[in-house]
Amino acid sequence: MATVKKRFGATDGWVNMPDGTSHYIFGFVDITGVPENQIFQYRGKATLLAPLLEVYEGDEVYLTLTNLGFPGRPDLDDTHTIHWHGFPNQIPLWDGVPETSLSVPVGRDFTYYYKPLDPGTYIYHCHFEPVEHIQMGMVGPLTVHPQLEKDLGRKFAYNDENTAFDLEALIFLTELDPKPHHLVASVQAFDWTEYRPQYWLISGRSYPDTVKPANDPSLPQQPFSALIEAYEGEKVLLRFVNIGFQQHCIQVLGIPLKVVGLDARLLRGYNGEDISYGRDVIYIAAGQTVDAIFTAPRAGIYPLYNRNHNKNTIAGTAFGGMVTEIRVLSKP
Amino acid sequence: MPVINLWAKDGYLSTPDGNSIYFWGFAKSESDPAQLPGPYIIAKQGETVTVNLYNTLSEPVSITFPGQPGVTAGGQPVRPQYSDGKLLSFVNHAEPGGMMSYNFTPTNPGTFIYESATNPHKQVPMGLYGGLVIRPADFKPEIKEYKTAYGAGTNTEFDREYLLITGEIDPYLHRAVENGKPYLVSKYLPRYWTLNGRCAPDTMLMDRVDYLPHQPYGSMVMGLPGEKILMRYVGAGIENHPLHPHGAHTRVVAVDGRLLRNGSIDLSYKRFTVLVGAGRTCDQIYQWHGLGYTPQNPIPTTLPNLRNMGVGDAGWTMWSGSPYLGVKGDIPVGVVSYNEFGEYYFMLHSHEELQITNWGEFPGGMMTMVAIYPSLSPDVGLL
Repeated sequence: MATVKKRFGATDGWVNMPDGTSHYIFGFVDITGVPENQIFQYRGKATLLAPLLEVYEGDEVYLTLTNLGFPGRPDLDDTHTIHWHGFPNQIPLWDGVPETSLSVPVGRDFTYYYKPLDPGTYIYHCHFEPVEHIQMGMVGPLTVHPQLEKDLGRKFAYNDENTAFDLEALIFLTELDPKPHHLVASVQAFDWTEYRPQYWLISGRSYPDTVKPANDPSLPQQPFSALIEAYEGEKVLLRFVNIGFQQHCIQVLGIPLKVVGLDARLLRGYNGEDISYGRDVIYIAAGQTVDAIFTAPRAGIYPLYNRNHNKNTIAGTAFGGMVTEIRVLSKP
Repeated sequence: MPVINLWAKDGYLSTPDGNSIYFWGFAKSESDPAQLPGPYIIAKQGETVTVNLYNTLSEPVSITFPGQPGVTAGGQPVRPQYSDGKLLSFVNHAEPGGMMSYNFTPTNPGTFIYESATNPHKQVPMGLYGGLVIRPADFKPEIKEYKTAYGAGTNTEFDREYLLITGEIDPYLHRAVENGKPYLVSKYLPRYWTLNGRCAPDTMLMDRVDYLPHQPYGSMVMGLPGEKILMRYVGAGIENHPLHPHGAHTRVVAVDGRLLRNGSIDLSYKRFTVLVGAGRTCDQIYQWHGLGYTPQNPIPTTLPNLRNMGVGDAGWTMWSGSPYLGVKGDIPVGVVSYNEFGEYYFMLHSHEELQITNWGEFPGGMMTMVAIYPSLSPDVGLL
């Protein structure tokens, strides 16, 4: 069991959509190991998604949150938290809900401690005024790998050999309504019951940006690629996450999916019954995660998109939004 | 044979932002106020239930019991009602000033809904709905193995139980009905979201507080570490709501009053977010065991000076100020703490986060807490 020490800064930034628009965000940035006198250089450099937190079952995780403040909104002294969404048996101190424990003011640090015992796909997000801070972008992916990976030297989603895979990909779903982003940037209030998203994102990007490589220079604050590349016959684990405010249904054209886990739990009944199942469309509600495995078929390009076709758009224009590609290559 | 009288009446709901909203609801008697949701009905598998509906509203009202077989109205099988050839009710209704008597014999235990089936696009959002719990035939709450949701041997034993009924309120619909004005249902846009008829933070108040005469049911879920807390979700609105409890997954043991089991194969599963669909019920068992920290086995991190941290930014906190269950810490001066004696609070809320606002203002809406106490009376968490 390793000790994992991470430090994330909470700050703001801007993201780009394929129609040339930019949108103000709140978010997190990885400042692990950055000398104390240099952390302020990361103000304004939040990323959407927030940095991946990837750990093993049994690790001891010390995650320090530092509130760097918002250079784009110096008047706004909101506190922040990190809520590990779905952590079993959590105590309020590390649950990150301001109303039930504490939050981190500008210029302060707080260290959360986690010893995850259940592998799977989780989410972390800020829980301060969550309707605003989640929509503004304070959301990140969190995966816990099973002990079985260490024992057998291969990859598994859970402690079950039926969940073996060769490579994994994140399908992290959010929406973006430009109106509150614009109003927050201009120090104005927004009535959240008027929420009407115009952009639908996979891992922080709208298609065709989703298929650009990771850390693409045109998307400095959207480092995650949603392009999936696999060789024929390889097993691919798709980690679906929905931390938007709408239900989504993701379809992969031409590739059947086997759902092996929901909400970071292996699909097993009370007495260990195998209750995994096949699907062509993954329905996923806000705040849920789904683990599905497929075997890459013959070489080709397989689109992955939202079966709510209205969400495969950029501010109303097709194609865009929640679309990406699975590119299957012939074995070299 | 239980006989339940329900009076369809009107009244006014209170929301925490000071709004007062006209609604229609069921009352327990002619002299009791209309309430949201309607009175819980608790019945037993195999025992015939009679529900007498008295309608004091200005239009016909009916009650359906989805999931119950062989419902009769006035002694005859229920059937749709038409007015001038147009469908008016899915089942027999009571005319204004009239009454209708329904009978059914529940064949299965579980959690169900009852609701109006007359102009349901209007009457259900207006508040004519309630929760129905059917006890298994072998239910004996004083014996652990027989205090179950679905019968002995079904792995559905519980220590405490809570009904959590979701709903939405579009105040423009309610105002139009109050004033007899037209309302276009296609414009339905909720501004409030309710658990047991209340918006947060009122959801966390006790049952039957006298300043919420039309909203008698609280939604604070209370239990002890390790206890099996049965949460019965009922989707009474016309939208789906993803409910997410902090602190633990729930084990979904039944959907729509049907045990998740196929012969000897158990099909229950654990989730950290359960989508409560419109008209759907989900029975789940929540268990929080904690991480074993006590003052004698302290946490591996240092609690910072709380004056340097955000505590009570919302104007209040539910926190004790201590990392430990049953221990009170030093809450900064000037912060109001509602913590009683070191209990833990875990938020339970819709993850469509705009729904945890009252007309756009957080905190509010479809949100409550699960409170884990160091000790608790056995009388808490009974239906």
